[in-house]
Amino acid sequence: MEKSHIFATVITTGLLCVSTLASAYDADWKRGRVYYRSVCTACHAAQAGGSIAPSTMSKSQWGTYLQADKHAKGKDSMKQYVSKAYRASIKSQNKAAEKFADVPEDELFEDIKAFVIKGAKDGDSPASCS
Amino acid sequence: MLKSRFFAVLAAIVLVLPGFSGASPAVKLNTTADHGKFKELQRQFNSGPEVTKACLGCHTEAAMQVHRTKHWTWEVINPVNQQRLGKKNVINNYCTSTASNLGACATCHVGYGWVNSSFDFSSQENVDCLVCHDSTGTYKKMPGGGQPPIKDTENPPGSGKFVKAIDLTKVAQKVGKTSRDTCGACHFFGGGGDGVKHGDMDSSLAAPDKEVDVHMDATGLDFSCATCHKAPAHEVVGSRYAATGKDTGDAHMRGQQSKSNPATCQSCHGQSPHKAGSHAAKLNHHSDKVACQTCHIPEFARGGVPTKMHWDWSTAGKLSPEGKPILKKDDKGHIVYDSRKGDFVVAENVKPEYAWFNGEVTYTLLGDTVDKANGVTLINALGGNASDGRSLIWPMKVMRGSQPYDPENKTLVKPHLAGNDDTAYWKNFNWEKAIETGMKAANAPFSGKVDFVKTEMYWPITHMVAPKEKALDCESCHAKGGRLDQVKGIYIPGRDGNPLVNTLGWLAAGGVLCGVSLHGLIRFLRRKQ
Repeated sequence: MEKSHIFATVITTGLLCVSTLASAYDADWKRGRVYYRSVCTACHAAQAGGSIAPSTMSKSQWGTYLQADKHAKGKDSMKQYVSKAYRASIKSQNKAAEKFADVPEDELFEDIKAFVIKGAKDGDSPASCS
Repeated sequence: MLKSRFFAVLAAIVLVLPGFSGASPAVKLNTTADHGKFKELQRQFNSGPEVTKACLGCHTEAAMQVHRTKHWTWEVINPVNQQRLGKKNVINNYCTSTASNLGACATCHVGYGWVNSSFDFSSQENVDCLVCHDSTGTYKKMPGGGQPPIKDTENPPGSGKFVKAIDLTKVAQKVGKTSRDTCGACHFFGGGGDGVKHGDMDSSLAAPDKEVDVHMDATGLDFSCATCHKAPAHEVVGSRYAATGKDTGDAHMRGQQSKSNPATCQSCHGQSPHKAGSHAAKLNHHSDKVACQTCHIPEFARGGVPTKMHWDWSTAGKLSPEGKPILKKDDKGHIVYDSRKGDFVVAENVKPEYAWFNGEVTYTLLGDTVDKANGVTLINALGGNASDGRSLIWPMKVMRGSQPYDPENKTLVKPHLAGNDDTAYWKNFNWEKAIETGMKAANAPFSGKVDFVKTEMYWPITHMVAPKEKALDCESCHAKGGRLDQVKGIYIPGRDGNPLVNTLGWLAAGGVLCGVSLHGLIRFLRRKQ
C-alpha cells in the first residue's frame, strides 16, 4: 500500500514538473505595459480618481497585491479585469482590449505583473503612468 | 491501492496534457532562436565585451558590419558638400559637442570604453550588441567608459544615488530585434534629457497611442523604428545628415530593389496617397510643393513631454549666496534654469515653423568663421527654395539659443563640460578653463577670450504623425497669417493677393452677375412676346 503511494506520488510529481516546464511562459512586459496603460490606467484616471503608477509600490508590494487578487479593496477580483470576458465587454471602446482579445488570461496577467515589477519603485526601471 | 494510483496518474495526465497539446505551446513565435538555450550564454558575464565575444561566436560578421556604420564612427561625410559631420564633428546649440565630453556622451555610443582618442575602433569586442538588442528594458551603461554596471554603483560618485547592477546573463539570453525602447534609450534623450533635442521624439513614443503617432500606435500598427529605418548590414538608413527633401519615387514593393530612402512617407504611400474624399485629387496635387509632414504633423512634442526651444548658455554660472549651483523650475516642474547650463525655454504641443528644404544641409563647423556682427549664426543652414524643383515646404523645430564662441578667432568652440576634473565647466563654472581644455581635445586654437553668439538650429519634423482627422485643414495655410505666412516664393490662394487683380476679378464677377440678372429680367419681362 505504502509502496504504491510512493510510486504514484513520484509519477505525479515528475509529470507535474514536465508540465510546468513545457508550459513555462516568458512574460512580455511590453504587452503588459500597453494593457496596463491603455486599460488599467485609462479606467483609473477616468473613473477611479486617478491613475496608479507602477513606481508607487515596491516589487514586494506589487507581488503581494497581485497574489491576493483583490481589486478595489477586495470588492472584486484583479483577474476579472484581465479576463477575456472583460476585454470583450470593452473592446469596442478600447483598442488594447481589442488587440489583445485572444491572449490567454494567465499570460496577460503575467505580462502585467512583469511590467509593474519592472516598473516598481525598486524595480529595474521605475515607471510612471504615461 | 489501485484507486489511489489511478487518480494520481489521471490527475497527472490532465495536468501535463496542455503542455504537449497544440492549445498552448511553449514555443516562441516571434523568433527562430531562443538565446536562453544557447550554452554560450548560460554563464556569468562580468563585462559587456565578454557578452559581445559570445555573440560573435555565431554572428561572425556583425561587429565588422557595425564598424562601418555612423553609430560606431560617429562620423558622416555629407555626400553633397563633403563636410565631415556626425556626432564626433558637429557643434550644436544644446550641449554643443562631444570632443572632450566623451565620458558622458559616449554612453550612447554602440561600443564599450570610448572616453578619449585612444579608443580602439578596430576591436570587435568593443562593439555593444546589447544596447540595441536588449529586450528586457533593463540594460544601461555608466558614464565614464560606457560599461554596464555589474554591481550596484554610485552615480555620480558621492551622490548617494545608486545605479542597479545589470544581470548581463539575463539580458544576453533575451536579446531580440531592435525596438522603440532600444533606439529610444538614446534618441529620445538626446540633448541631455527626455525630449530635449528633436521635438518629435521623446519617451512618449515608447508605447504611444494613435493620437501621438499613427504608425507607432502601440495598440495599432505598432511600428518599431526599424520598420521605416531599415538597417541592412546594421547600417540604419534615414539620417538627417543626408536627408531626403523630396522623394519622387514610388512606393517600394516587395522583391523590388530600391535605392531610395525607405524612411520617407512616399516609400510606402507613393505619390498619390489620398484616395478618398472629394478633395483627394487636390490634396495629391499638393505633394509636389508640400511635405506630407507639413499637414500631418500639426504640432510636435504632443506626448506630454516638453522639448527645449531656447537655451541661453550666457546666463550659466550663477550661484546661490552660499556658492551652490541653482536649479529653477516652472510651475509644471520643468527645469528653466540650471547654473551648469543657463536659461531654458521648454514647450509642449509646439506649432512648427516652415521652410523650403531639399535635403541639403551645411553645418557651421569648428574653424568656420562666426561673426557676432552678422547676427544669428546658423548651426545648420538648410538648402532649398521654391524654384529648384527639389524642395518641399517642411515643418521645422527651430532651436534657438546663445552659446560660447571665440571672439578673436571668430569660431564656435567646444567647451569641456562633463567630468570630475578641475577644468570641466559643470564642476568649476569657468568658461576659459573649460574651453581651453575642450579646444585642446579638438586640436583647435583658442584665443583665451569668450563671448556668446546667437545661434539657430533646424530640425525637420517627421515623427508624431497625427491621425488624419487631426491633419491641418485648408484654412490653416490658405489664409493671411496662416501656417505658411512666412514661406516665400510661392503663390498661396487665400494668403497672397494683388489688390488690382482682386479688384478686377471682383468687377468681372460682378459684371457677369449683373449681365446674367439683366438677361434674366429681360427674358422675364418679354416672356409673352
